[in-house]
Amino acid sequence: MREIWDGLPVLAQDLMSAGALLLPLLVVGGVLLRGFRPWSLIRALMWRFRWANLLFVLLIAVSTGMGIGLIAQERGLRTGSAQAAEKFDLVVTAPGSELTMMLAAVFLQPSAVPLLDGAAYDRIANHPQVQIAAPVAFGDSHDGAPVVGTIADFVTYLSDGEIEGRIFTRSGEAVAGAAIDLQIGDRFTPAHGRGGGADAEAHDGVQIEIVGRMARSGSPWDRAILIPIETVWEVHGLANGHPFEEGDRIGPPFAPDLFPGTPAVIVHADELWANYALRSEFTEAGETMAFFPGTVLADLYRVMGDVRQAMSVMSVVTQVLVAASVLLGLFILTRLFQRQLAMLRALGAPRRFVMAVVWGYGVSLLLAGTVLGLAFGYAAVLVLSRIVTERTDILVTASISWAEVTLALGFLSAMSLLSLVPALVVLTRPVVENLRQ
Amino acid sequence: MALPLQISDLEVRAGARTLLKVADLSAPAGALIGIRGPSGAGKSTFLHALSGLIEARGRLCWGEVDLIRLRPEGRTAFRAKNMGLIFQDFLLFDELSPQANAGLAGLFRVRHDRPPISARAAEALARLGVPEGRRTVGSFSGGERQRVAIARAMATDPGLLLADEPTASLDRRAADTLIDDLTSLVRASGKTLIAVSHDPHLLDRLDRILTIEDGRVTGDTGAQAA
Ligand SMILES: Nc1ncnc2c1ncn2[C@@H]1O[C@H](COP(=O)(O)OP(=O)(O)OP(=O)(O)O)[C@@H](O)[C@H]1O
Ligand SMILES: [Mg+2]
Repeated sequence: MREIWDGLPVLAQDLMSAGALLLPLLVVGGVLLRGFRPWSLIRALMWRFRWANLLFVLLIAVSTGMGIGLIAQERGLRTGSAQAAEKFDLVVTAPGSELTMMLAAVFLQPSAVPLLDGAAYDRIANHPQVQIAAPVAFGDSHDGAPVVGTIADFVTYLSDGEIEGRIFTRSGEAVAGAAIDLQIGDRFTPAHGRGGGADAEAHDGVQIEIVGRMARSGSPWDRAILIPIETVWEVHGLANGHPFEEGDRIGPPFAPDLFPGTPAVIVHADELWANYALRSEFTEAGETMAFFPGTVLADLYRVMGDVRQAMSVMSVVTQVLVAASVLLGLFILTRLFQRQLAMLRALGAPRRFVMAVVWGYGVSLLLAGTVLGLAFGYAAVLVLSRIVTERTDILVTASISWAEVTLALGFLSAMSLLSLVPALVVLTRPVVENLRQ
Repeated sequence: MALPLQISDLEVRAGARTLLKVADLSAPAGALIGIRGPSGAGKSTFLHALSGLIEARGRLCWGEVDLIRLRPEGRTAFRAKNMGLIFQDFLLFDELSPQANAGLAGLFRVRHDRPPISARAAEALARLGVPEGRRTVGSFSGGERQRVAIARAMATDPGLLLADEPTASLDRRAADTLIDDLTSLVRASGKTLIAVSHDPHLLDRLDRILTIEDGRVTGDTGAQAA
């Protein structure tokens, strides 16, 4: 059994579990409705209590939509941030908080971080297993976008070589991220610092020219402007990592004693397995710290997992409350309709027909609410993803997965069983009593 | 097909109280019978017993069938097949058209019953002069509504029509034309009609009047005739 199931394509599995979830609904519906045509009466009920019905449908839709939206959004953010960190195998920084360092070096969040010196960089760059050792220096900005100093190889690596124009080849040139509003040939003067405290005049006289633009990567680096790290040092009046005799040359190797320091080194090894060795090698007490951003993120998600669980519990509680109020509403509305239902019985309608009317009415409301809720959820995810992407440049893709659909269907199915209760209660009171009133 | 009525030792109780007690009563198929009496006398209760909507003791036979011996679902099926009910306040679905209201029974009957029900509903509506069209009955006058209700009762071609105060919600003129139409329709089709009413205009048009007081039949204009 297990093997057959595991052997099925994922879509078939999803469809089958959705079908299994809907089974109670389909069975009850089939048994109750067989041979009957209650739809015109259900429509009459719908119309008679249209405002109350609309309210119920919206209530169900909003609660379903919220639950779905939260789950989908959280997953989108998780996969989006993991993708944004994908290129960052190993990060070496001065010792400190891995999370702070990761946010600064990978997600380009402004923060003051200590520097690694030339000797430390030299050890990393000259390690036989290290293919790219990219110093990244941040602190300047243009128009709110971080201006990050690094080396050409890293820009190529980051963009997979997809650069419009060309890479920078000398100090004073820059490659812009896809979200930057500067074209090739544009020039700008970087401001010192970032955000509200940025000092636009500090680097007066410095002109940097855009020579290339990177393709979109779905990471905060889309909103970064990458310049040679030498330029960063030069505009701050520091040595530029190279002795005078080297002239205008940029990029590694750097002379350790002329290396002013870098907050982080992004390391890429040829072989995946080498990363573990490198991490322990570059973790030297008091000197350097090496970490996998992927692991830090995973830890973060684990902590957030509890929050997520709390969120799902809350959304389930909301759903249950909505379900209870909808059921109560069904009770009240069928009460108001009780004389007509009793009349049906007096006319010779079987119990099953009256149940079919009441149940069909409830399920129609639930179905409408659930479908609308899926639409709401999708719309919410769409809007939230756009907002998150705009704010953080982490590409969050909006998607409703089977997990959410399954959740909605499960709710629908369970509620459709509960809708039998008002239908049954209507039948417990004697027909004559209901006819009188 | 209309059925003769045969009652003996019928008793309806609610707890310790006896709501209705009828020792002996019979009526031929196709009779038009009126029931009158003071409020609270048990007229509606009698009608409910005749339609099998309440539990009773004794014998209550429509033709060969003793309703009291039947199980509840059997009584429901008997009602569906043999009885048309008319209520004082019509009990229509305001949201539906007259045709949909009159053909209501088609919604829960088997497929091959539907076309004749719908056809008879349309015929009865036409004979009773109900405005045609898709307008819902929510906007109908009382007289028009009661006609739709009568058409609904006729649509299944039952042998028996049971009416509880069919003219009480209507003004005099509407009541009078309705009485004309109802009695001629019933007579033409040979159905049995049992109508509870305070309305002398209606009672005058019926063959036989029972008086019920305090749960007992205290008068019967057909007793000497039989
Ligand atoms: N389930 C019940 N339990 C107790 N008493 C009941 C029950 N149903 C009816 N009654 C009583 O039985 C009596 C007869 O009721 P019924 O409705 O048959 O009167 P009626 O003759 O139709 O009166 P009206 O002309 O006002 O319609 C009333 O006093 C009523 O209160
Ligand atoms: Mg009465």
